[in-house]
Amino acid sequence: MTQTDLLAEFTGPVPARSERPQIMRHSQGSHDALLSPADPGGLTRAERAWIAQRVATLSGHPGLAAHYQALLDQRGAIGASSPRDAAIAEHVTRVTTAPGTATRAHIQALRDRGLSERDIVALTQIVAFVSYQVRAAAGLALLAKDPRP
Amino acid sequence: MSRFTLEAVDWSAWMPPVDPATATPAQRAALDGSPQANSEYFRTLAHDVDSLAERSPLFHAVMFVPRGLRRAERELATVVVSIINGCVYCSSVHARRFVELTKQPEIIQALYDQGLDTPLPPRLRAVVDYAAKLTRSPADMTIDDLKPLRAVGMTDLEIHDLTNAVAMFANANRLMQTLGEPVLPPAAA
Repeated sequence: MTQTDLLAEFTGPVPARSERPQIMRHSQGSHDALLSPADPGGLTRAERAWIAQRVATLSGHPGLAAHYQALLDQRGAIGASSPRDAAIAEHVTRVTTAPGTATRAHIQALRDRGLSERDIVALTQIVAFVSYQVRAAAGLALLAKDPRP
Repeated sequence: MSRFTLEAVDWSAWMPPVDPATATPAQRAALDGSPQANSEYFRTLAHDVDSLAERSPLFHAVMFVPRGLRRAERELATVVVSIINGCVYCSSVHARRFVELTKQPEIIQALYDQGLDTPLPPRLRAVVDYAAKLTRSPADMTIDDLKPLRAVGMTDLEIHDLTNAVAMFANANRLMQTLGEPVLPPAAA
């Protein structure tokens, strides 16, 4: 990944953000580690883009959804019709929109579909990261639009 | 009575966490860079080591970097997010930090017992309202949402920090709530 601050694409420049280089660096680093890992394990790079696209869509951020859709298109479509994909999609919707309803049985359902512990943590981290990104982008966009010195 | 508490709460994972005895060197390093290397939560996140190695310094920068928004106000914002999402564990940890910094448990108790609309000093009111809207409806934010923050004197750097604290707990709550569950102290359970 060559991008240094993906979020700025969706907010426009926010001077205050440049006073927080560690946030910029590790927000981008989280994106890269989750979306383009050196070793993706049991969750393919296409599946990762698909998951992120769903979270951005469910959270109402069309800009980020388009970014992840473009990433998915580069990586080839995914079937989205196997029981495994359906289990992933259910988890993505639950963690994005109603995290308080999750139970131990939901984690077991993912394991039953062949996801490893690492895959489940990575899947959940992607949902949690895009949930962060959507809110950071929404707030910072206000500061870009209506800045004060 | 509120299910949220100022008591210390524990957390238990829904999968076996990484065992420190068999952790890889990369997992060991990522755990050592996390706030509590031996907690079940960070040992669970260590299953995906590269994301943990980025998330811990991101979390640290959002919550602890000096200047900008007061630490107590960052903590308050994360309590508001955690109440909305229903994260009993996160709200307990960060409510306790707010109280350590401010010696004002009554503010937390009022939020727990009476809800987010409870009367508050103007600056805290502005923090709570912004945190609540950004958590519930990020797509509906407009520049009018900045006005109450600026009316109580907040700079753009402070609003930036507040935004990141709220966003970070959209993240933290989801991990805590969907990979395991809070374990309440015996008296409260």
